[in-house]
Amino acid sequence: MKSMRTGTALAAAGAIRFVLRFLGKGATTLPGKIALRISPSFLEEVSRGQNVIMVTGTNGKTTTTHMITEILRKAGYSVGTNVSGANLASGLATTFAEHTEKARRATKKGIPIAYVLETDEAAFAVTAGKINPHVCVVTNLFRDQLDRFGELLYTRSCIEKGLDATGAKILLNADDSMISALRIGREERTEFFGLDEGHMSRNNVTNAEEQGVLSASSDAEYCLKCKKKFEYSARSFGHFGVYFCPSCGDKRQEPNYSAYLSGRTDPSTSGSPMFLTHGDETVETTLSIPGTHNVYNSAAAVGACRIFGREVGDGNLSLSFCAEALSSVRPAFGRTEKISVGNKSFCILLVKNPVGLDRALTHVSEAVDTGGLYLLLNSNIADGTDVSWIWDVDFESRKYPEKTYVSGERFAEMLLRLVYSRAAPKNIRHEEMKRSEALFEEALAACPEGKCLYVLPNYTAMLSLRKYLVRRFHLKNYWK
Amino acid sequence: MKTDLHICHLYSDLLNLYGDRGNILALIYRAGLRGIDVRVTSLTIGEEFDGDHYDIVFFGGGQDAEQNIIRRDLVRNKGDAVKAAIEKGKIFLCVCGGYQMMGKYYEEFDGNRIECLAALDVYTVAQKKRLIGNTVYRSDLSEKSAAQGCFEPGKLYGFENHSGRTFLGDGVKPLAKVLTGAGNNGEDGTEGAVYRGVYCTYSHGSLLPKNPAMTDVLLEKAMKQRFGDDYQLAPVSCEIENIARRQRETCKKGLTNP
Ligand SMILES: [Zn+2]
Repeated sequence: MKSMRTGTALAAAGAIRFVLRFLGKGATTLPGKIALRISPSFLEEVSRGQNVIMVTGTNGKTTTTHMITEILRKAGYSVGTNVSGANLASGLATTFAEHTEKARRATKKGIPIAYVLETDEAAFAVTAGKINPHVCVVTNLFRDQLDRFGELLYTRSCIEKGLDATGAKILLNADDSMISALRIGREERTEFFGLDEGHMSRNNVTNAEEQGVLSASSDAEYCLKCKKKFEYSARSFGHFGVYFCPSCGDKRQEPNYSAYLSGRTDPSTSGSPMFLTHGDETVETTLSIPGTHNVYNSAAAVGACRIFGREVGDGNLSLSFCAEALSSVRPAFGRTEKISVGNKSFCILLVKNPVGLDRALTHVSEAVDTGGLYLLLNSNIADGTDVSWIWDVDFESRKYPEKTYVSGERFAEMLLRLVYSRAAPKNIRHEEMKRSEALFEEALAACPEGKCLYVLPNYTAMLSLRKYLVRRFHLKNYWK
Repeated sequence: MKTDLHICHLYSDLLNLYGDRGNILALIYRAGLRGIDVRVTSLTIGEEFDGDHYDIVFFGGGQDAEQNIIRRDLVRNKGDAVKAAIEKGKIFLCVCGGYQMMGKYYEEFDGNRIECLAALDVYTVAQKKRLIGNTVYRSDLSEKSAAQGCFEPGKLYGFENHSGRTFLGDGVKPLAKVLTGAGNNGEDGTEGAVYRGVYCTYSHGSLLPKNPAMTDVLLEKAMKQRFGDDYQLAPVSCEIENIARRQRETCKKGLTNP
């Protein structure tokens, strides 16, 4: 039974959502904020007895959440999810409030309900115990918003706190040494996902030699426990790989759910053949969202759905079913979205931290259809006020299109970064944030026919550009 | 004459958290504008430091956990060689954690003192509240430099993110005076420290990219070490850097977060 307070909170949240929608505004956090104020135990009450999967970690939360949601929807669930990345307690509360009415109707028709919640790491510490999900997925740990979290290990301790507040099954990234170590003391409820070892690159233990002047930064070269440098027999990207500590013997765990792409594929084409393995079973599907990081997200999503199926006794969520459902997933908000304009297109890749920018620059360097690069850098609270992280990203060993543009409130910092790389083209066009839309038009006009303009904004720069693009190209609004 | 400069990047595999390598990229870039090639050697734990090999030593900041591993190696294995290089007048740039480790000790919250290298007469006391934000300093260091047409060369722009408060002893001078932000300790208005060729600062990441006049000062001093006091760095403009220096946002308010 829900308390009277929570009943009132639900009604208030509904009314606020209605008004905001009526005014044409996205209602992704305010209804939940009000609901939590009216009823402090709101999250506990609305989540009680519900089917819930929570997804946390630095990168890939949004895409993994989105993939899980699509698989569950295909399996016949009515899914409540925070698609727009409103991933603090208020966003989670909004998701429950918003889905209440739909859930009531679905239940009448015998349709099962599930909630898939992307959760910020700090919010995870305080909400996981209240929501008590069936499954917690931890995607990875990379440096992100250090001006907010201070240090990486603090972020990790937030995740740890959240995990210990629940008895949920845990799905961890086997290839991330810092995340995999979260299994310790929780072994009996933990499983792993990862990239297939045979499809990682070999012997590139550090990239120092290849990259000429400076080695690329890595977040976890040393064993957390004994501070000895890890040895790697294979690596995928960042600090992900098949690691081994020569001192304590800690090593990468064999993933229960693994994935790989067959052959070397052009990152700009979607639909690369992908293989998913669970135990002895391997199935083929296609990766509809390009990039190695999305192979990880796929393995995580499939693993989460399989564990969830086992926990709630849903036999439909087989490996082949999940794989099939995955092949039709479209990119989430700002994650490799490609939008066609006549014979050309533009593609938005959100870059909010070093590894995200590293993956995006790899994509732009390798894609055969690159017809322009437009970087936007802001430094609002939601972005992190410190932009010095862009100096940790390898800009030096990249290929840049002839036409490169920069904007955002901190465009000058990005401009300097490109120029100092000595790899970017001369004559980079740059404009202040208030002229960023005009610069987008200029960049799109200059993009050759048949090619794609890659737009790499950080968070608030993306929100603002997206608002413009929604109007300009009549795109679907993200909160729908 | 083709010349080259050799930079040593200390513990680059561990201290790489706040964009500090931007400082090395700046040295490479502005040296390159003068036709000077730069070689960078990374040295990590267990590897021997020989100051004679290098013109500039860069020592950045990192997370506490990693700094503990490094401190041991620095004090026990590299300490004497580093001190000898300093006395020879080699150029060092030390940022945040690197700065603290060059000092005498680091006092933790509980009063426990961790012995550091004691190459510089400074000490650091930890406090809970982190000092985070964009900073502006005044420094006469870079007023006369080969960076031609630098916008307000007497100002240094930076970004700080530290919980340690550092205090200077008699043997060292501050690098700059704080205009915006906290600086060494948030109390005495000083920022960083200078001793012989050692330049220390709390400013992370893009300190040198945003302060080309300081980059040129360090480059010129390093070249003088190599080729004698008559060496002069060729003047080079700072057009691109000035865009960043003029952009008000890059130096707006020094925020202090909890
Ligand atoms: Zn170990």
